[in-house]
Amino acid sequence: MKVEYLNPIINATVSVFQNMFNIELERGTMQVTTESISGKKANVSIGVTGQLKGSIVFSFTETLALGIVEEMAGMKMNQLDKFVTSAIGELANIISGHAMTNLAGVGYQCDIVPPQINVGDEQRIYMATEKILVMPFTSRFGVFDLSISLQEVK
Amino acid sequence: MIWKESYKIGVEEVDRQHEELFRRFSEYLRAVRGEDNLETRTAKIQETLNFMGEYVVVHFASEEEIQRKYNYPNYAAHREIHERFKAEIQRFVEAFQENPHDEDLIMEFSGKLLTWLINHVAEEDQKIGTYVSSSKEVCQ
Repeated sequence: MKVEYLNPIINATVSVFQNMFNIELERGTMQVTTESISGKKANVSIGVTGQLKGSIVFSFTETLALGIVEEMAGMKMNQLDKFVTSAIGELANIISGHAMTNLAGVGYQCDIVPPQINVGDEQRIYMATEKILVMPFTSRFGVFDLSISLQEVK
Repeated sequence: MIWKESYKIGVEEVDRQHEELFRRFSEYLRAVRGEDNLETRTAKIQETLNFMGEYVVVHFASEEEIQRKYNYPNYAAHREIHERFKAEIQRFVEAFQENPHDEDLIMEFSGKLLTWLINHVAEEDQKIGTYVSSSKEVCQ
């Protein structure tokens, strides 16, 4: 996996959080893993097609997912119900849409498919490429991971 | 939803409409997420959908008119976002009319709409504001 794929996606994540919530995400240390990742409570998976194929997964802790939706709705959220998961699914969708625009800017024309949302404890998520890059982010809402598994279509 | 001064784009008509959209959608959220009985909630959802269906058309037209006036370079892409959004609302309206008591459908649509609205106002529309104010400076 090339670094050219990564920065457009990481930058899209940072800019959407900045614009929507006025918060600066703190980047952790990038980790490389193989085959699968250990998810968090709410995982949103976005498929990528086109010149790159694979997926992007956003793994949110429950605290973070509830915190973000509370901030947007201005109401208390008590659990990861359909409303909350749909709201964070759309957030991941928007970030990924921006990421595709950024990728097009560096020469990769790609599309995304609608988000798949999985909620549950101790989830293991299998991804398409052998190597998966995981970028942990910290914010005032809590932590989340951005996992990227993409390969060039020959 | 909490309206923030930072959401303003500096075009009075659009800012007023955004604030109204936030106010109405907040009322809707309180009804959808509240403890009222099914009939009351269904009535509120129907009322909001009627309102959104009409108001969003007016509001998007206002935004698009301003973009045309200032030759906004991303006009076509922005208009496409509006069209997709209108189609999405229409799809939900039809699904809701078929199954007005489908709780999952209502919650899924409402959650998605919440994020979409905030992103559109806090991010996409800000680009119009920035462009319009820089155009005004050039003209002066």
